[in-house]
Amino acid sequence: MLTFVGLGLYDERSITIEGRDALADADRVFAEFYTSKLAGATTSDLEAFHDVDIEVRDRVGIERDPEPLFDAARDSSVAVLVAGDPMIATTHVDLRLRATEREIDTRVVHGTTAQTAASSLTGLQNYRFGKATTLPFAYGSGGVPESVLTTVSENHERGLHTLCYLDIEAEREAYMGADDAARRLASAFGEDERFDAGEETLAVAIARAGSPAPTVRADRLSVLSTTDFGDPLHLLVVPGDLHHVEADALEALAGAPEDLIGSYRVR
Amino acid sequence: MGRRKKIVQQCERLMDRPENIRNIAIAAHVDHGKTTLTDNLLAGAGMISDETAGQQLMMDTEEDEQERGITIDAANVSMTHEYGENNHLINLIDTPGHVDFGGDVTRAMRAVDGALVVVDAVEGAMPQTETVVRQALREGVKPALFINKVDRLISELQEGPEEMQRRLLNVINDVNELIRGMTQDMDDVDDWTVSVEEGTVAFGSALYKWGVSMPSMQETGMDFGEIIELEQAGKRRELSERTPLSNVVLDMVCEHFPNPIDAQPRRIPRVWRGDDSLDLAEGMQLVDDEGDLVMMVTDIGIDPHAGEIATGRVFSGTIEMGQELYVSGTAGTNRVQSVGIFMGGEREEVERVPAGNIAAVTGLRNAIAGSTVSSVEMTPFESIEHISEPVITKSVEAQSMDDLPKLIETLRQVSKEDPTIQITINEDTGEHLISGQGELHLEVITQRIERNQGIPVTTGEPIVVFREAIRGASDTVEGMSPNRHNRFYLHAEPLPEEIVEGIQRGEISMDIPELERREALQEAGMDKDTSQNVEHIHGTNILIDDTKGIQHLNETMELVIEGLEEALNDGPLAAEPVQGTLLRLEDARLHEDAIHRGPAQVIPATREAVHRALIDGRIALLEPIQDVRIDVPSEHMGPASGEIQGRRGRVDDMFQEGDLMVVEGVAPVEEMIGFSSDIRSATEGRASWNTENAGFQVMADNLQPDKIREIRERKGMKLELPPAVDYF
Ligand SMILES: Nc1nc2c(ncn2[C@@H]2O[C@H](COP(=O)(O)OP(=O)(O)OP(=O)(O)O)[C@@H](O)[C@H]2O)c(=O)[nH]1
Ligand SMILES: [Mg+2]
Repeated sequence: MLTFVGLGLYDERSITIEGRDALADADRVFAEFYTSKLAGATTSDLEAFHDVDIEVRDRVGIERDPEPLFDAARDSSVAVLVAGDPMIATTHVDLRLRATEREIDTRVVHGTTAQTAASSLTGLQNYRFGKATTLPFAYGSGGVPESVLTTVSENHERGLHTLCYLDIEAEREAYMGADDAARRLASAFGEDERFDAGEETLAVAIARAGSPAPTVRADRLSVLSTTDFGDPLHLLVVPGDLHHVEADALEALAGAPEDLIGSYRVR
Repeated sequence: MGRRKKIVQQCERLMDRPENIRNIAIAAHVDHGKTTLTDNLLAGAGMISDETAGQQLMMDTEEDEQERGITIDAANVSMTHEYGENNHLINLIDTPGHVDFGGDVTRAMRAVDGALVVVDAVEGAMPQTETVVRQALREGVKPALFINKVDRLISELQEGPEEMQRRLLNVINDVNELIRGMTQDMDDVDDWTVSVEEGTVAFGSALYKWGVSMPSMQETGMDFGEIIELEQAGKRRELSERTPLSNVVLDMVCEHFPNPIDAQPRRIPRVWRGDDSLDLAEGMQLVDDEGDLVMMVTDIGIDPHAGEIATGRVFSGTIEMGQELYVSGTAGTNRVQSVGIFMGGEREEVERVPAGNIAAVTGLRNAIAGSTVSSVEMTPFESIEHISEPVITKSVEAQSMDDLPKLIETLRQVSKEDPTIQITINEDTGEHLISGQGELHLEVITQRIERNQGIPVTTGEPIVVFREAIRGASDTVEGMSPNRHNRFYLHAEPLPEEIVEGIQRGEISMDIPELERREALQEAGMDKDTSQNVEHIHGTNILIDDTKGIQHLNETMELVIEGLEEALNDGPLAAEPVQGTLLRLEDARLHEDAIHRGPAQVIPATREAVHRALIDGRIALLEPIQDVRIDVPSEHMGPASGEIQGRRGRVDDMFQEGDLMVVEGVAPVEEMIGFSSDIRSATEGRASWNTENAGFQVMADNLQPDKIREIRERKGMKLELPPAVDYF
């Protein structure tokens, strides 16, 4: 049995009780932190809290060479730990498919994920989000990939919000900050006629979602790009049109400047 | 005022009169007397003392050149010569003859308009004679002929007038045959064959400083009979006083070589493919010293005081101190620190160097040999491709770790100066690889690193460079990314020979305008649709994008190309470079989000697809081969041809030439390592030989597995081949 367990958003306590039970039942526990990670807990914190040994696998160990993992799952109970929800913003459905091909039973235990936080912390409503996208550190010749800009502008056209995941590079412990992301978007928007407001475009930075003290700030990209949001992980949302309750929420909960919010309100 | 100073001033005055300028190169087979001749011309022009000319080999300034008795670096010099009514400025480049330094010859030809081809009267036209004539003609450089060492025909071989004439005519015919064959398809030149009657041939002795041509004989009234008499009587001094070599040759240079105004309109279209309606195009055609500055760098050298010196031909405008100039292939501008011309081995700083001249410039720190330098951004000149790729590699390591940074810097400098060298720097292991044209090439470079830079190094045994190439078309194969969300579908087929040659000559490249590239490809036999879809050229391989409307492929293409280049640099058999392949990207499936089709996914996926396609096309190992020519007395002919056959070689021809037998054939470069000492002992030192790189050839199937294993082992790769390689 192969159980994919979502660890939730922040630390060893973000897991569900269901997930904790699955961990306790597992004969072997694997984890990967190259797509996302828990900012508030180390592997040893997890091991201590759940009283298990965790075998951390890098990208190669999951994508290229998953056979040892499958071998273990064939005749014992194996848990794979992933930050957030195991099937969101990662490509692990492929791993599940490969296990299924090998006639290994699989199961998914959910966790809270960035997508939930983006709605819950900002007050932006879930049903008004369009396609999500990721801002990579480097892509080809650098800058913001065209596909990211297309996604945001298409969402914009339909008045929808865009959730931007921010790249992490596990090997060199690099996590893109919301300020960095805002800077990249500000300069890309500034040179692109699809974005009328350019670097004045409204965006919401979210830091340490799921922790006891998350930060949420709504402001112009140009302002966000010079703001320090503290420890990782960060997210960035580019809102579309704002329903009046959404606008109120951004003002009240995220400190959005009134003059800026005005033009986004749907009348 | 010193004499030298005076000449510099004369030169400066003449620089502004392009009609009185001649830019020429002296080129020949090794040892035929180019440098001795150059010394003599210099002495005749009063640049060095008459006594030392010839003995001194003024132009072979480097210590290693004097030791080895050969020219290694092309050398620039300027001199003046009165001819007709006018004084002339002659900018001359003495080139090396040894085949390993052929890159210098090719580059020199870009800077000049005339090539004085020197042939040793005793040896006749030799393999390198053919090569230098081809190098000149390809650049649109007009040839003239000087037959040297005629003194040896008289004093050593004791030939009479008839015998001598017959021999000289043979040389002329041989050279003309080469010129005729190579100019046949050049529609921008008429008859460029040389002839005694027209005065485009001269004879003489560079060592004893006498020379004659038809016009000079008419002028001085000297004939062959008289010359033979004086030479036999050892009255060489009298001979050279009555018919001095430098006058005869420099007259010929002034009379028969084109000046820049005549040459540039014809040469520019050959070497530059930019938009000819631009101002700078007109500047180059008209040799306009007030136009935009355009200079082509043909040589990078180091001066102990001034640092790096970029030498090259100014085609338009005037180069001066303080100018901010663009250097092709690099960003930003470089500031000119000083400009100068060459006098002997030394550089003379001058105020300015106008169009039509050869300038020596400091401050162009981004320039390498082959750079285009200009005052406005422009399409660079055609790259000066030296057709012969590196075939032999040696590792160098600094003996002391402290020297490592200095060694790396030196290696970078070396590859800037000599583009026929390939340097692979490995900062992790400290073991760097130098690949070059031959054993001597590598020996000279490593010795210079030790001597000139004072860095003690350890060098490995020379190893041959291999290639990999497919033998047939593949099926369409799939390459999958590690996360399996991205897939690429590729097809491989061998590129026709004409296209590969076009790429090697630089006529087909990503640097030229798309329309021209298409035309060149179609001319070389590629169908129209394919030629329109060229996405990338790497080495002699082409990537065609046959896909239509695949979302996100555009922004993924750079990564596809990166993976493709990796796969082609390290072929699937032995991680040797792949050549001559047409790869078609037929289809692709991409993940929606950029992060899941990033470098970690796309690069391995394309690499896999390329290698699979290559293996499906039955990729094989290619080794470099050399043409070999041995001149040997007939009693040693057996052992001599045995030396070729014993090296997996093939003897193609044996014939008599004079009192010697000539053996011609081909053999793998790898087997030719150590040939010099073997042939010497096999023929009691009586043989002279020449080798010339002749491209790459598929190794026999039965030798492939062992050789591949040997290379993999040397490179620390795992020994077993991919299972799909089941055809050897
Ligand atoms: N007898 C005789 N010997 C000559 C003559 N010209 C040159 N030599 C000799 O030929 C040898 C080679 O002369 P170089 O001038 O170095 O020849 P090169 O063509 O410059 O040689 P590389 O630059 O190495 O290709 C020297 O030993 C010269 O002294 C000549 O006219 N007569
Ligand atoms: Mg020489």
